[in-house]
Amino acid sequence: MIELHDIVKTYGSHKALHGLNLSVPSGEIFGFIGPNGAGKTTTIKIIGGIMAPTAGTVQVAGIDMARDPVTAKQRIGFIPDRPYLYEKLTGMEFLQFTADVYGVPAADFRTQAVSLLKMFALADWGEELIESYSHGMKQRLIMCAALLHDPEVLVVDEPMVGLDPVAIRMVKNLFRDLAARGVTVFMSTHTLAVAEDICDRIGIIHRGRLIAEGTLDDLRRDIAGGAPDLEAVFINLTQSPADNPGQGAAA
Amino acid sequence: MSSVFDLIKPRLWPVVHRRPNTAARSYVRLAVMTAVAGALWIGIFLVSLRVLTHFSTIEEIGTLLNYKLLNMLMVTSLALLVFSDILTALSKLYLARDLPLVHALPVPAHRIFLARWMEISFDGSWMVLAFTLPVFLAYGMVFEQGLIFGLVLVAVLVPFALLAATVSSLLVLVVVIIIPANRMKNIFVLLGLLAFVAVYLAIRMARPEQLVDPEVFDSVLTYVASLQTPSPPWLPSTWAYAALQAALAPEPHRGLLDIALLWSGTGFFLFLAVGLADRLYFRGYSRTQAAGRKFRRRPAGTTRRHSRFTGPLRALLDKELKTFWRDQTQWSQIFLIMALVVIYVYNFKVLPLEKSPLPTVYLQNLLAFLNMGLALFVLTAVTARFAFPAVCSEREAFWVIKTAPISIRSFLWIKFGIYFLPLLILTEGLIVITNLLLNVTPVMMGLSVLTVFGMVPGIVALGIGMGALNPNFRTENPAQAVTGFDGLLFMVLSTAFIGAVLALEAGPVYHYFLSELRGRPLPPHWFLRTWTSGLLAVLLCLAAAVVPMAIGQRRLERRGI
Repeated sequence: MIELHDIVKTYGSHKALHGLNLSVPSGEIFGFIGPNGAGKTTTIKIIGGIMAPTAGTVQVAGIDMARDPVTAKQRIGFIPDRPYLYEKLTGMEFLQFTADVYGVPAADFRTQAVSLLKMFALADWGEELIESYSHGMKQRLIMCAALLHDPEVLVVDEPMVGLDPVAIRMVKNLFRDLAARGVTVFMSTHTLAVAEDICDRIGIIHRGRLIAEGTLDDLRRDIAGGAPDLEAVFINLTQSPADNPGQGAAA
Repeated sequence: MSSVFDLIKPRLWPVVHRRPNTAARSYVRLAVMTAVAGALWIGIFLVSLRVLTHFSTIEEIGTLLNYKLLNMLMVTSLALLVFSDILTALSKLYLARDLPLVHALPVPAHRIFLARWMEISFDGSWMVLAFTLPVFLAYGMVFEQGLIFGLVLVAVLVPFALLAATVSSLLVLVVVIIIPANRMKNIFVLLGLLAFVAVYLAIRMARPEQLVDPEVFDSVLTYVASLQTPSPPWLPSTWAYAALQAALAPEPHRGLLDIALLWSGTGFFLFLAVGLADRLYFRGYSRTQAAGRKFRRRPAGTTRRHSRFTGPLRALLDKELKTFWRDQTQWSQIFLIMALVVIYVYNFKVLPLEKSPLPTVYLQNLLAFLNMGLALFVLTAVTARFAFPAVCSEREAFWVIKTAPISIRSFLWIKFGIYFLPLLILTEGLIVITNLLLNVTPVMMGLSVLTVFGMVPGIVALGIGMGALNPNFRTENPAQAVTGFDGLLFMVLSTAFIGAVLALEAGPVYHYFLSELRGRPLPPHWFLRTWTSGLLAVLLCLAAAVVPMAIGQRRLERRGI
């Protein structure tokens, strides 16, 4: 469902991604973790079509992002880490905007939008201007918008930032349900417990290279020599002197 | 005091530690901006020198007139400084993005206030001072004053600017307790705008062009000179004027008390403001954060809407219109455009065509031809204000567009469509109404309407396309985008485009009207020349409509967020 081939990204003289290769199949929740500045958000932006890679190709649902970005983006629901929105629109108007852009049939829109707003506890806030929303409410509204057009792929940067515990549990269940229905979820996170909880596979990126990839058990057993949990795996892989630069994929 | 300077360090460091940007583009940018600012500065200086020299030659009242002008300059500068300082103070003290971080620091409120006051004093004053300086320079030259005048100028202008900033900051500090800063800023901007429009209309309706008439001019000057109303003694502008006038006399010692008043006034109000800051500043800041939330609490889905459009066009059109009408800083500028239109049309209504020695028909059509250029230049200015920032106005929500299944090309052309129609109606309206007032021939009316119809897409596309070159999505005010290098380039290119098309049309139009006026046949090759010029004009219009959009599209596609 998501295929990254030899992705390189440079910012001026700084190389942020060094030939990243990754494949995430349909219905999988893939967790993407790494230290600050490792290249997580750059990768997410490249998958979402916000940023073009310097070299390499991205395919989403079999569609090449560079060749046919509009069709590729039609299949994606994108949730950024920071909830910047059109502050002068109401929540419902923003959903209508999204529905119009993604071509959601008018007959389905109202039912779908109200149902999503209810699911994310925003039903009473739908007619308020977004500028009056809190950070968490904006984040939840973005999630509503990302799900409005029934995406095949959900790309999420730090999904739990700004959410309260109830919302976190709801989002975790939602991701599991979506994956069970065949939706691919690609999420970057610093919340390792969440990654442990819901991810089918986890990739660890460090200094622009994918240094490990596999199920939690794979990572614990094969990569980190029997580390007790993901935190130990993460520290083991990213804090060692050589930072395991040459280590390839494990799965 | 150390923490006050610590607080302004983040503002200074980027300037002090800036690495020189060696890219050719940045040198070009710097050179162009410096040249434009320099030209404006020199222009103000030369005009001031000319006016002051002219006044000084008028017997008996010349010097008095120059003093009156100086007094008016000081009052106007004070008004501008206070207006600018109040807006800057509202932003710096209550609305800036870094305030949550600053208020979380273990620093007393009066020190934060003091650090912000320094920024307000600089940001709110530098432009007013920089562009009044050439006028003072002209005064020094006309009155043949040197070093002493220069020293007095510094001793006056520094406390003058500081006093305006201090009183404005103090005013904001107190008023924000009653009216939250964001609402106060909106009210203040609207009132300022309406006041400007009123003054602008009043001055124009007073028909100052009549001053060119020697009889009227003399009587007006005598009247102005005879005005003996003393300036209010409590206004800082009066103190500043008195000190400068004394230095020009030249009797600088007479102005010492006024200079002392300016400095002591600054000290007094600053002392008062800093004293009040601990009590009022945090209360006002806290109140501002809680303000601006009007909850309607209607269940989602109760508001229905109807639109004849569908898809991304409807999405962007709805978003653009709602954002515009819900943001008072945007829609209030419509008043400015209305005033501009009224004045524009009024200018043509009061044109004394009958007094001209040239044949009226010739003059009417000559003016109509020049009117095309003027109306298109008005369009350029309005495009610069509204269409040029269209991409930048997406601000940090631009990720929504970047991740949406809509190409940047479609996004830009929809933006173009949104602005094209109202701007076309505005420009065609201006042209048709003024041509009717000029009573031009049907041929000239047709040519004007067609030319405008062909050029509006080019100018709007130039605005949208160039606005997409380097949009600053993090700006707090997208409307300021046009004050940068790309905005300046847009104005220059748009003016060049208007000039080129009109130059192509000028020859054939000139020969046509000459032959009509003299009853002679059209010159040989007129048709060939007209067709060639027309074809070139059409090609130019097409290029202006397509090329900037394509360049803007390419830049925006490559750009991340």
